[in-house]
Amino acid sequence: MDNLKEDLKKQIIEQLNLEDITPTDIADDALLFDDGGLGLDSIDALELIVLLEKYHGIQVVNPEEGKVAFRSIDTMAEYIRKRKS
Amino acid sequence: MYYISAASTISHQPTFQNVGFSTHIEPLQETSVLLTPDYKGFIDAGLLRRMSKILRMSVACAKDCIGQAGIDQPDAIIVGTGLGCLLDTEKFLNNVLTIEGLLPPTSFIQSTHNTMAGQISLSIGNHGYNMTHTQNSISFENALLDAMLLLEEGERNVLIGAADEAIDFLNVISEKLHLQLQHSLTSGASFFILSKQKNDHALACVKDTQAIGLVNDVTGQIKDFLAGNEMKVQDLDLVLLPGTSHHSDGLPASLASLNLEENKCVDYLRFSGIYPTASAFAMHLAADKMKADKSLKNVLICNTLIQSNLGLTLLQSVEA
Repeated sequence: MDNLKEDLKKQIIEQLNLEDITPTDIADDALLFDDGGLGLDSIDALELIVLLEKYHGIQVVNPEEGKVAFRSIDTMAEYIRKRKS
Repeated sequence: MYYISAASTISHQPTFQNVGFSTHIEPLQETSVLLTPDYKGFIDAGLLRRMSKILRMSVACAKDCIGQAGIDQPDAIIVGTGLGCLLDTEKFLNNVLTIEGLLPPTSFIQSTHNTMAGQISLSIGNHGYNMTHTQNSISFENALLDAMLLLEEGERNVLIGAADEAIDFLNVISEKLHLQLQHSLTSGASFFILSKQKNDHALACVKDTQAIGLVNDVTGQIKDFLAGNEMKVQDLDLVLLPGTSHHSDGLPASLASLNLEENKCVDYLRFSGIYPTASAFAMHLAADKMKADKSLKNVLICNTLIQSNLGLTLLQSVEA
């Protein structure tokens, strides 16, 4: 099990107050901003930027980076690892 | 004349979707809590997760009203609030004090006073007139006046309401100010559909309303208001008052010279608790009483919650 991805799911649920959703409900490759996935919106995108700084010490300054990084749990984890390496 | 085609209240009383509640509610106990419905039945889960207490109450009441009135969309949405979205304001300010770096945006976005009207609009996809009035204890009366003016201009159905939410910090402030409150600080939301046309759902009519700030002569203003509607104090079948500063005869001291009959007076704060827009609760209470008791033809809501403000709303029965 990838601990980073599990932590990310818990952090997203808490930060976005996703009621009735557990980490097991979120597939690693589910599209976060798609109605077929979590159905997040633009305010959530801002919350995810705050989340990355709060929990991982990463500042997203380039909006284009965020677009790619916030596609799914997989891409978020990849982005965090890349920025920390 | 403006017809109340629908009414919905969430409060510390069993008011929500409970026609006839006025006949069996009891004065609030200190331990009373806000009685809320299952909000998932009224609000999309995606919006609900971000909403604080005041937003949930407001949107649920608004949707309930629209359903009761049997309309697709109101022509306008008007909300009165004394203190606005306190929970989100408190949360945002705490974030400012405790978080270094980026601040979460949600509580900031939703801390503004006009968030209720905005969220109602988003929830029902309404693109009409959207207005929020905030004038402390007479916010509801100002919102009501706005609704009446819009109906005069040709709108058919206006969603008008008021909401305020209590947070623990209000109790801390009232203790530090040594306020001797006779009732608990509570939360509440009351919404109505006000229509120019009479329909089968009409509970009562709003004959007139007035909001006066920095008032000096309360009894004189009440007499003038009634005279403007060709009425006298003796014509009133019921007067709803906030019993915050009682005279020895049980009436607010400022109204003693009106010679109101005590058995015609009801202290609505005993049922609603104290919040700036409790007079909206009083309007629903009055309308519900008038629906149940046909002998009530003329009812005055006399909002003297704050000494310097006076809100007056005259209701008449649909048959009158």
